[in-house]
Amino acid sequence: MQVAKLIADRQRNWTELDRLCNELERRRAKKIPAETITRFSFLYRSACADLALADTYQLPSNTVQYLHRLVGRSHNQLYRARSFDYQAWKTILLEDVPQRIFRDGCVQTAFIVFWGIFLASAYLAVSGDVWPDYAEEILGQQQIEMMEANFADPIGRANSSMNSVMAGFYIYNNAGIGLKCFAGGLLVIPGLLITIFNAAYLGAAFGYMARPDVAAGVNFFHFVTAHGPFELTAIVLSAGAGLRLGLSWMMTHGLTRIDSMRETAKEVMPVMGAALILFLLAALIEGFLSPSSAPYVVKAAVAIITSAMLMFYFVVLGYPRKTSSET
Amino acid sequence: MTRDFKQIDSTVDVKTPENIAFQYQVVGPFRRFPAFLIDLCVRFAVWLAALLILSLTGAFAGIDGLGIAIWLVIWFVLEWFYGGILETYWNGQTVGKRLLGMRVLQVDGQPINGLQAVMRNILRLVDMMPLIPIGILFGIESIWAIPSCLIGLVVPVLNPRFQRLGDLVCGTMVIAEQRGWVNKGVAFDDPRIPQLAALLPRNFSVSRKLGQALASYIERRRFLSAPRRQEIAANLGSLLLPRFNLPLNTSHDLLLCALYHRTFVESRENPDDVRPTIGLLSQEATRVSQSQGTGVTS
Repeated sequence: MQVAKLIADRQRNWTELDRLCNELERRRAKKIPAETITRFSFLYRSACADLALADTYQLPSNTVQYLHRLVGRSHNQLYRARSFDYQAWKTILLEDVPQRIFRDGCVQTAFIVFWGIFLASAYLAVSGDVWPDYAEEILGQQQIEMMEANFADPIGRANSSMNSVMAGFYIYNNAGIGLKCFAGGLLVIPGLLITIFNAAYLGAAFGYMARPDVAAGVNFFHFVTAHGPFELTAIVLSAGAGLRLGLSWMMTHGLTRIDSMRETAKEVMPVMGAALILFLLAALIEGFLSPSSAPYVVKAAVAIITSAMLMFYFVVLGYPRKTSSET
Repeated sequence: MTRDFKQIDSTVDVKTPENIAFQYQVVGPFRRFPAFLIDLCVRFAVWLAALLILSLTGAFAGIDGLGIAIWLVIWFVLEWFYGGILETYWNGQTVGKRLLGMRVLQVDGQPINGLQAVMRNILRLVDMMPLIPIGILFGIESIWAIPSCLIGLVVPVLNPRFQRLGDLVCGTMVIAEQRGWVNKGVAFDDPRIPQLAALLPRNFSVSRKLGQALASYIERRRFLSAPRRQEIAANLGSLLLPRFNLPLNTSHDLLLCALYHRTFVESRENPDDVRPTIGLLSQEATRVSQSQGTGVTS
């Protein structure tokens, strides 16, 4: 057994594999000719075999280390990141996710927390008897003035040039809130705080705008009605998904904390995917329909249709079925 | 998944579909931070470029401030989905990771999928916590807060793969991809070494462990001074000299070189005992020769 000769023999293969690795790293997978890939996989398998036999060959340790690195790099070129699996998503989105959401206590909690606080906050802001300066205290005078200025002109008029800017800002802001609710949920308390704060804030904004003496209110509701159902639901969903993830490392059900978190993440990720899709749909409506000059009836109809779609999705598709829950 | 980690350094073992185990070096927070900074710069550059292009094309002044709206959407996508999208379509790398030779993989060494990439990047927000409000820090009124990144620093240190929370949730890890090089083999120009090798008993076979020890000694030998060589070689040499019936004043260093020469460089009587030919490197061949290998050495 001549190790020196063996290494010299194999080194030609190794350097070729190394070279191919670099080539694959630089080029897109589709542009690589078939022969190169065949050659690459052959060289990769033989390098694997060399590594497997390194002990038997008594290869020197730095050669073994070299092989580890080479095989590792080639492995990462051979097995590439899979993008989104659209085909599998159909089943997941239409069957698994609604049923999971329907029976998920955390989503229900998030739903109650968000809407409860939202409605209570809106009531306080509208009525003005129970807590006279509620809206001003929550929103701040500056913010209220800014909102009133933003919605001063009727939506969709040629001279109100701020409208698509607003749409862009609200996409940025509201989807951001949803994602923050989710990420913060991992630590439970920040997630709940973000959810509660935003529920109170949005509720106060809606309530303030609903006051009969606020002139900008009409334009405000003209703008938010169409995309509201999707966007607010998406925030609730992300908050619920985040909360579920945060609870998973507290209530482990006999698993280790990390394993419990990982298992829950597998369940929660599709829910979060659904929330992202809702954000996307909301953003589309928000970008095109909401700032347009379409009559309020159209926007209200869109709101009703989207709410009905959501109800159908969560209740009809989500209603627990014996057959699917057993499988 | 096994939970006993035998490592004392930052390598993790990975088993591939080819039924072979190899090692990756996982990278910790301090090596990942520069990559994060590079990504931050790239994001800022794209953000700025979008701002410039949109304002230069006059979209800002044009219809309904559409330019600002597009720019805000770009900002949103950059802030939340930059890493996720790049890692999906760039095989687990962002610009920073690519420049610094790192890659995201699943903990079992498999490539990540799109959802994992997006999710682990969204959860980065948690790593920034706890936030320190500037107002409290400087006694001024401000709604801004400085991310202290404590969670992002502490969590990776507590687990053996240096995963941050987003990694733990998605079952991913970040590894370093390095290129190695092979030593050309050690050539001895000292004529005494082959002579001494000839004097070693023919029936002495070097065990696997001893072979490894010899190889690593010879590889590192050229970096050591002569007294240091003697000192290290004495540990093994003083045991081997009486066994080989050689004079006790033989240089230990020379002895180890000779043993290495005989084991690794010189040809033996039956050189083909465990070597499969390159063409037959299927799994079967691997398994057969592996079992032969263990039979020979045990």
